[in-house]
Amino acid sequence: MDQSILYIDLGVGGMTCDDCVVHVTEALEAVPGVEGATVDLASRSAVVTAHPDVATESLAAAVHATGQYNVFERRRRPASDV
Amino acid sequence: MSDPFDLLILGSGSTAFAAAIGAGELGARVAMVERRTLGGTCVNRGCLPSKNLIEAAGLVWDAAHPRYDGLAPAQMAVDFPALMGQKDQVVRDYRAKKYNAVADGMTDLAILDGDAAFTGPTEISLDGRTIAADRFLIATGSRPIVPPIPGLDTVPYLTSDLLDADEAGRLTELPESLIVLGGGYIAVELAQFFARLGTRVTIVARSALLRGYEPELGATLSEVFAAEGIEVLADTRTERVSGDGDGVAVAVETPTAGRILRAQRLLVATGRRPNTDDIGLDRIGVGLDADGYVVVDAELRTSQAHIWAAGDVIGTQRGSQMATPVGARQGRIVAENAFKGARRRVDHDVIPRAIFTDPPIAVVGLTEAEAKAKRHPAVTATTPLKYVPRAGAIHRPEGFVKMIASTIDERILGVHMIGESAAEVIHEAAMAMHFKATIDDFIDLIHVYPTMSEALKIGAQAFRKDVTKLSCCAE
Repeated sequence: MDQSILYIDLGVGGMTCDDCVVHVTEALEAVPGVEGATVDLASRSAVVTAHPDVATESLAAAVHATGQYNVFERRRRPASDV
Repeated sequence: MSDPFDLLILGSGSTAFAAAIGAGELGARVAMVERRTLGGTCVNRGCLPSKNLIEAAGLVWDAAHPRYDGLAPAQMAVDFPALMGQKDQVVRDYRAKKYNAVADGMTDLAILDGDAAFTGPTEISLDGRTIAADRFLIATGSRPIVPPIPGLDTVPYLTSDLLDADEAGRLTELPESLIVLGGGYIAVELAQFFARLGTRVTIVARSALLRGYEPELGATLSEVFAAEGIEVLADTRTERVSGDGDGVAVAVETPTAGRILRAQRLLVATGRRPNTDDIGLDRIGVGLDADGYVVVDAELRTSQAHIWAAGDVIGTQRGSQMATPVGARQGRIVAENAFKGARRRVDHDVIPRAIFTDPPIAVVGLTEAEAKAKRHPAVTATTPLKYVPRAGAIHRPEGFVKMIASTIDERILGVHMIGESAAEVIHEAAMAMHFKATIDDFIDLIHVYPTMSEALKIGAQAFRKDVTKLSCCAE
């Protein structure tokens, strides 16, 4: 894996069902520089695998554009950090 | 150690709950820390219990003082402990419904009891336990000021905490006599409450009643109080306090003479101060002003970027007011700024406010003095409520409405009312001012006849003509 890849931990608001998980995942994965996103309904959180130049604002804007969800960044960590 | 909370809120009042609900909706894991009773001042020892009791005292008073010929006075028996008991139940029920149940219904909200103080920029100590969070909201509210009066520390005294349902400071016996120190909104509300239940009440105020409000409001209230047998000592300094048998003696200096006042109980209601003195803010560099209020920017951020403050702890900065609904609005703004990057700024241009005396007082916007200080060219019109048909119809002619309008564009800048239903009527003025209404907007709106809200239509007409000559429905 590219050494510069990061995990970005996000809090996710507004999800009520598995469809919501799909919508948030799609929104996050459409952001340029995002390699993948794992969204969890129960813990209301997401882990995004992304290049370091992906700004939190871009992730938030993509999710806000869905009209009903919110994300905010908790922290960034190296992808090697499990 | 477990994951840090996304937001840790110090306090659990209306500000804290609005922030917690807002942050929760945005996905945050929230902790709320409370050292007293969940719900804060308003529900436990402020707005809610005082309004419950004031209404009851009004029923007793109205029965004994019917306004209509043909109705004979009736003396209601008052069981004070039972009256306070029903108030306690109202408080507990409301707290359970609006606070505990709301908290229980939220995912990812932890409510932690105990004494909290910052020990580092991202952690607090809660009774010795360390709790970490990424962001904080200081919403610890305010408490009564204890003024530095010689001897005050040697006698028992009441504060507005007497309203509490569950704490030690609560009151269960009606005092035979009471000295109230202070002339602000809490002092006048509680003074009239006790007086109407039969307590002999003396108010000792440093200046006039309701300093900071339109002066005619306090003057009118003073006349009402005098007529109800409440003694008001204005412009009076309290020199010292001492015990006097089972009661208290208070040495005062009125404008004309020194006097010793004696009463069974003493109520200290000389203002409120922010709860910011023992929560470790000095350790983490959160700036306070000279009076201890947390300094915030227009987005409610403190001098630390990850710490916000809202509610009573910010005092009157940026046009804010120490009032429950103002704090709640600010709590919601903090949630959106902290977790949505919303960068919302507070808007305090229109904050209606009421004082629940009888007659009630309600205000919104600028006073005449404030308009002058801002060099805003303005005119005023004061209309006695006896010209409002409903006031005459139900024998409640006392009071007035004073409106302040800009001479540039005729926008209404302020409305100040004392009289029947003022606390309800003020919302029409507030909504109108929110939409930047002019004198003619108030005049042109058809009002229900006969209501006290017509006071605003007639009050606006007073800018144009002699309102003593209006026909029916103020046309």
